[in-house]
Amino acid sequence: MSNVIKSNGFTNESLEWDAWLDVITLEQASQDQIKVLEESNPKAKTSDYYLFLAHQPDILRQRSAAFNAIMYAPGGLSRAERELGSLVVSRINGCVYCASVHAQRFEQLAKRSDTVQQVFDNPHGAGVDAREKAIARFSAELTEQPDAIDAAKIAALKEVGLTDLEVLDLIHSIAIFAWANRLMLNLGEPVFADGRPAE
Amino acid sequence: MSTPIYDIGNDVIDQLAGLQAGSPLHVLRHQRDKVAAASQGSYDTLLDPALEGIGLDERLLVALYACRLAGAAEVADHYRTRAQALPVDAQQLAVADSGEPEQLAPGRLRAMLVFTRALTQRPVEGDRAAIEKLPAAGISTPAVVALSQLIAFISYQLRVVAGLKAMQAAAAR
Repeated sequence: MSNVIKSNGFTNESLEWDAWLDVITLEQASQDQIKVLEESNPKAKTSDYYLFLAHQPDILRQRSAAFNAIMYAPGGLSRAERELGSLVVSRINGCVYCASVHAQRFEQLAKRSDTVQQVFDNPHGAGVDAREKAIARFSAELTEQPDAIDAAKIAALKEVGLTDLEVLDLIHSIAIFAWANRLMLNLGEPVFADGRPAE
Repeated sequence: MSTPIYDIGNDVIDQLAGLQAGSPLHVLRHQRDKVAAASQGSYDTLLDPALEGIGLDERLLVALYACRLAGAAEVADHYRTRAQALPVDAQQLAVADSGEPEQLAPGRLRAMLVFTRALTQRPVEGDRAAIEKLPAAGISTPAVVALSQLIAFISYQLRVVAGLKAMQAAAAR
């Protein structure tokens, strides 16, 4: 990671997350629960988030398959631009934990952090160029008013050069964080590594 | 249900977005077939009739209410139709469709709908006290997980549908 960025309660520092209800323990987990944790994320066995969701392994398996296919599939929208969509959504929804994770991913992929500072400061106007601005604006619109998304908003993405597959990938990247943010914000809370609350 | 079999001819998001098999947008969407399959798989597992601790009727009413709050009228129609196909309490259906959770007597469904409203409309205000009202209403932790995943999934599903419908409209211009 480059520089620490803090703005409006958001940060690109690494955070942890504590569940508010009981999580499963690895000692008592079923084989299927262990398997779905291993499929979901390399750190899932030590993450309260995954240990909580693993109460329902069949549901978690499908969620993780959707998440990983959306964020990591080859081709289409660049991974950095998918992370930008996710970051804007997380900033608007107020998910400090998700914003920190996806700020770091954006920085790793794009090799710069200027857009992260902009998203933390004001997600609606963020973007270093016309393409990034259009991606950030659409991410805000589909997050805040999904029923108002129309042909003109798609045309605005096409005008800055997005292909149809890139538009589809962006829609998925935004929508999956409508899902992820709601879980992170309502099932537990972010903490710094030393245990201090992070919001 | 463990892992449902994906049938591209019976894909709920395709149906809700009005994508015809073989149309350009249908072909494009299924270039991301892992996403389509896992989205359908999420729908199928979240609405598995055999899921323990939370009734299918409760889940369909939660889904209907979440869609209504988000302004997704056509996705709401889908869940209303599914709820009406079950033996479902008329007052509970009316509340999910057009009322407020507080019109219900204190109990499981009222607690679930209050939680649905919080997650759908003001997710940032979520706190420990809000989630603890669910076990207090007799809802087990695994059922809380299923409920939370369902509400969050609906927020995902209705945005994918809205995006696809806008892409369809843009292509027709």
